[in-house]
Amino acid sequence: MSGDSLSFPLPLTRFEADSCEATNLYRELRKPLLRYLVCLGLSADEAQDVVQDAFLSLHRHLASDGSQENIRSWLFRVAHNGARNRQHSYDRRFGKPLDPDLDSMAEGATPEQVVLEKEKFHHLGKAILLLTESERECLLLRAGGLRYREIAEVLEIPTSTVGDTVDRAIKKLAEKCNV
Amino acid sequence: MCDFSGRLVAWMDREVPDNEAADVELHVRDCSECRRRVDAYEEVSRAFVAYCDAAIGEKTRRRLPRWVPVLLSSAAAAAVLLLVFQPATVKQIPVQSRVADAAPAVVVETETAPRPAKKVHRRPVIAPTKTPSANWALAEPSIQIAIPVEAMFPPGAVPEGITFIADLSVAADGSVQGLRLQQ
Repeated sequence: MSGDSLSFPLPLTRFEADSCEATNLYRELRKPLLRYLVCLGLSADEAQDVVQDAFLSLHRHLASDGSQENIRSWLFRVAHNGARNRQHSYDRRFGKPLDPDLDSMAEGATPEQVVLEKEKFHHLGKAILLLTESERECLLLRAGGLRYREIAEVLEIPTSTVGDTVDRAIKKLAEKCNV
Repeated sequence: MCDFSGRLVAWMDREVPDNEAADVELHVRDCSECRRRVDAYEEVSRAFVAYCDAAIGEKTRRRLPRWVPVLLSSAAAAAVLLLVFQPATVKQIPVQSRVADAAPAVVVETETAPRPAKKVHRRPVIAPTKTPSANWALAEPSIQIAIPVEAMFPPGAVPEGITFIADLSVAADGSVQGLRLQQ
């Protein structure tokens, strides 16, 4: 009889829902977070540590009935602050342009295409060095898929400032790279 | 310079209010200069993302030299061999048993010996030359490794699908000196 199956809220129900939410966020945001932190100047190990700490903080946040609004920008802000706490690494950000080796290029590309791509990366790396700290951070967060409003929350600046900064940074890169 | 040039990037990013976005879209359709700019900004944006991806790849490769996976798999294989072939912890029976030395021919008759109860639990005395298993008995102490996930992380803190690599340090005598997990 179907009426015999009682439905009552188990204490673990919310916990399981939170874990599911955290798992989905992990799958969605782990790579963008790593990319953001590595491009800020953290080593791969440091970035992994910061991302892991950020998700542990997320777990505690959700377990303690923390707000789930703007959770993406919340995670980026925690990771951003984690990077700032590693000041020594943070100061190394974009210390020199990357020199990606040929193996990292797309498979199937001709040697000429690889050389051209590498040359483009070289110019882009030099142009990125010319950006201000704020411009780089805005572009990195934008590359992570964050909206201007979310970027503003991470960096604790007005949304209009984010729009102006992104606009200025993109135009600088386009000009320097002769695109 | 076109009046709309200051809103092109925001329009690309869908950050312009709907009523303004329609105006920008109409303008970009008619203005070749703005179309060229939008193409350039999109290309730079894609290149920036690719550059950041290359940064991750480069740093990850630097992080793990080629010999590290080989070393890790060797250590893991050694650990598995140790665990698989580890004999049960058995009290070592001296090869030269006093009982055997004293009266090897009358062991059966020692029912009245001073300590008959202990003999019940003893294995038969086996000469080391008769079987190689006697050498295994010298491999004490036994090794036990048990690391429950709950002991390392709070419940649910480790999402599904995460794997860890165990870096196991094994000393020359077979003892485990250290265990390090990395994702």
